Amino acid sequence: MQREVGTLPLAPALRARLAAAGFQTAQELLDTGPCGLSKEIGISREEALEALQVVRQECQGDAARTAGGSGATRKCTALELLEEEQTQGFIITFCSALDNILGGGVQLTKITEICGAPGVGKTQLCMQLAVDVQIPECFGGVAGEAVFIDTEGSFMVDRVVDIAAACVQHCHLIAEAQQEEDHRKALETFSLEDILSHIYYFRCRDYTELLAQVYLLPEFLSEHSKVRLVVIDGIAFPFRHDFEDLSLRTRLLNGLAQQLIIIANDHKAAVVLTNQMTTRIGQSQSTLVPALGESWGHAATVRLILHWDNSQRLATLYKSPSQKESTIAYHITCHGFRDVQPPAVTHCPEGAEPNPRKRPRTEEEKQ
Amino acid sequence: MVVLRAGLCPGLTEDMIQLLRANGIRTVVDFVSSDLEDVAQKCSLSYKALVAVRRVLLAQFSAFPANGADLYEELKSSTAILPTGSPSLDQLLDSGLYTGEVTELMGAPGSGKTQVCLGIAASVSLGLKQHVLFLDSTGGFTASRLYQMLQAQTEDEEEQAILGRLRLSFVLQLEALQRIQVVRVFHVYEVLSALQELRDRLSQQVLSSVGPLKMVVLDSVSAVIYPLLGGRQSEGLGLMMQLSRELKTLAREFSLAVVVTNQVTRDSSTGPLKPALGRSWSFVPSTRVLLESKEGSWEKGTSQRAASLAKSPRQVRLLHPSLGMQ
Repeated sequence: MQREVGTLPLAPALRARLAAAGFQTAQELLDTGPCGLSKEIGISREEALEALQVVRQECQGDAARTAGGSGATRKCTALELLEEEQTQGFIITFCSALDNILGGGVQLTKITEICGAPGVGKTQLCMQLAVDVQIPECFGGVAGEAVFIDTEGSFMVDRVVDIAAACVQHCHLIAEAQQEEDHRKALETFSLEDILSHIYYFRCRDYTELLAQVYLLPEFLSEHSKVRLVVIDGIAFPFRHDFEDLSLRTRLLNGLAQQLIIIANDHKAAVVLTNQMTTRIGQSQSTLVPALGESWGHAATVRLILHWDNSQRLATLYKSPSQKESTIAYHITCHGFRDVQPPAVTHCPEGAEPNPRKRPRTEEEKQ
Repeated sequence: MVVLRAGLCPGLTEDMIQLLRANGIRTVVDFVSSDLEDVAQKCSLSYKALVAVRRVLLAQFSAFPANGADLYEELKSSTAILPTGSPSLDQLLDSGLYTGEVTELMGAPGSGKTQVCLGIAASVSLGLKQHVLFLDSTGGFTASRLYQMLQAQTEDEEEQAILGRLRLSFVLQLEALQRIQVVRVFHVYEVLSALQELRDRLSQQVLSSVGPLKMVVLDSVSAVIYPLLGGRQSEGLGLMMQLSRELKTLAREFSLAVVVTNQVTRDSSTGPLKPALGRSWSFVPSTRVLLESKEGSWEKGTSQRAASLAKSPRQVRLLHPSLGMQ
């Protein structure tokens, strides 16, 4: 009730007029009523009524939350969040080393950004994830659908067919080895046609179409509630050329990032973005850094950088809220993303294998 | 700028207000700063009545001066210093986070701002048994990482792992998790609503859900403000200042420590790093800590992280050696 007028979500022109007329708190507005309000600041009765409705909604929302009602806020204690996280699934990538450094796979409700030079495998990884999100739960997947937003035109359906066929075959092998009833039942709905029909493909040609698509996505996701993955392949491409006003670009990108995190959170979906690399020329050397500037680096919660080392492809986890930074090698075969084959002779270390999810305690600086 | 209204104080009637308004006096400030004899003549109101009204309005709306000694005593009794869980960071901040102030952590992506926030929340919740409100606007809050930190901190305190002690430490960790409340806010108006709701609850002293709240963490403030800044719109700056005023008054009135995280930007692609949100925001936090990882390029891998003080009301700015981040 004591909410300041400046903190209410009204149009800026209306707010300026209210401030000039001397209104300070929401309670004063509600006391005045629509007729008095329209007379005081010189707007029509309908506009005054609309504004008062917004104010009333906000204040009622506040009061309900104060009294302990649930409302639409995303509020909970850390304990509840921990329980939620432990039951959440991951989207596996079929490359176990990559899954390990990510802590199990691509996490739901977070934004993961994949950066890399051209040709290193970003679109391949996206297509792999679009297939892997549909793996039934009895095989360790999340049994969801995928939305693929393509801005570069690099989505090849024949390649997805190859990847999907390999995935289905892999699941058949598991089912035969384990011979369980639910495996067989799940396999009935997990065929090539099903996989392809559950990938929703959108093609956006410039940044306006991309922004419009992302703003319309919540409606689409409420209709298709099984979607668990949203891939935007090439978020850098529409924003990198011909943008004269860089501050507008930063503003649009940040708005886009906020919209994506709202989608990821509300619909329990993983959002995967791919980004290009650009060169930063320093004093003595030049380095490859992800494109779109410093402020974009904060948009993604998890950042994965794919790069080359001679002829070996490497993936580095650069930013993550719960995992340590590390680099692993991977391969792209005709079946999709896979591990690098280890050498034939392996000899185990003396102690037990350390759990890759536990960060080792370092002796040097204890907190 | 409060508008004159009937019933604002005894003696201020509707007719008086109409007469005053006809002569261009609409707000309290106009009334109090005008020449009352003049006004009495123009509006044909009695001088005595106007003087009485002015006295009441002044008593109601002006600020009270306080002397320095009283202020100091009050601060001494209400300010607390919260340890952050990392002795070197405490030393950097002059023994910890001060309540009643806004502290800012800034750094490049991946430098560890969210990790430091989680560590501070864990330390305050476990060590001091105080409640923490965590406003998450980036989706970076991971409860499992927080749990890891709590486990590491209880292991420091309880060396012997007898079965009874294990169960006790587990219970302590669960309680600590329950004291941290997380609100996901992805838009600046949601942040303002959450802060308003906190203010209502604290002023009504509803202890059941909040408990003795001592800290509010906002991670990150630039994620909600950035989409509004820039271009030719100036409402972004206004909202940013509203937000800063809310945070500071909450910190001061209810003796909370407020921690915000901020991004860094560059002027050009080769310029030095500077904190985001510009000069106007730089006056809001009283203490600023810059977090950076040595070995800026991601190719070589990073293992050393450094925190340095960029702005402080109490300490001299000096570069601090690396903090071990677990």
